[in-house]
Amino acid sequence: MSGFGTLTATWMVADSPAPATRGVVLEQTRALDKFLAEIERRAFRMAQMALRDPDDAMDVVQDAMLKLARNYATRPSEEWRPLFYRILENGVRDLQRRRTVRKRFMTWLPGPKEDPDHEAQDPLDNVADNAPAVPDVLMQDQAMQKLEASLRELPARQREAFMLRNFEGLDVAETATAMGCSQGSVKTHYSRAVHTLREQLGEVW
Amino acid sequence: MNEENLAVQRTALEERSRALFQDSVERIDMHTRSRLTQARHAALAAAERARPRAWFMRMPVLTSAAGVAAAMVLGVSLWLHAPVVHHGPPPADAANFEDLDIVASSDNSQDNVEMLQDDLDFYAWAEKTAGGEPAA
Repeated sequence: MSGFGTLTATWMVADSPAPATRGVVLEQTRALDKFLAEIERRAFRMAQMALRDPDDAMDVVQDAMLKLARNYATRPSEEWRPLFYRILENGVRDLQRRRTVRKRFMTWLPGPKEDPDHEAQDPLDNVADNAPAVPDVLMQDQAMQKLEASLRELPARQREAFMLRNFEGLDVAETATAMGCSQGSVKTHYSRAVHTLREQLGEVW
Repeated sequence: MNEENLAVQRTALEERSRALFQDSVERIDMHTRSRLTQARHAALAAAERARPRAWFMRMPVLTSAAGVAAAMVLGVSLWLHAPVVHHGPPPADAANFEDLDIVASSDNSQDNVEMLQDDLDFYAWAEKTAGGEPAA
């Protein structure tokens, strides 16, 4: 084989997906689509509970999806879940840090201060709902609001450990990967979170 | 017994909170669901674009790049090896051009022929003298 032929062959082996591998790539894309479709809503709710803003939560989830698909799509699918939540938690933490900095900066500036909770009053909130109240739904809503409020009171690492272990169902090792800490730390954070939540919600629930 | 109660309470809390969370996930509105689906499709499309392509898929780009490179090499080589153009006659040919200039400028060539015929005797004498001994 000539030099050029050898070079071309090496290039093809290194770069080009053969027809068989193209099928593998397609399969991988389908698997990633299925994985993201399965977790996207839970991820959104978890981000929303941490950030208290649906738009910010959507941004963080979208960014996590993008980073996972771009950088880790070729990794084994068993690794996707902890990797995705690690990216998501990093995004949540970055956004919270930026908010803190922005809040500090805004306090130095003259003029109207920013609402610390970012919760603008929606006029529709004051409109009476004529639909019949459903007691079960209302009770669930109230219980969920209390849970969210209690979760927000927790330190960030405890909240992460509780949500990943309890809501997402990750085991200790996966949670440790997602949080970027040891398994012992995960157990400690989770135990403290459950203890605090039980103290706050035990009587109500 | 107390520890057992605590464990039961913990489990109840975990199960209740998990059920509430799952219920809130189920009740996510359609607009948000649609946005999540769009975000997922955008992520997959971005991953597809970021995937390294086969060599033959990159051929149009390679061909263009090779064409530009070849044109540049050709241009540089032509520029470096181009013959030097001199504006004006070379020194060796300057005399020829001077002679041509003289001939071209002599518009009274008929007068010169008549002058040559007038001095014909003189040229004949000069030739005879030169045949004997070189002229001084």
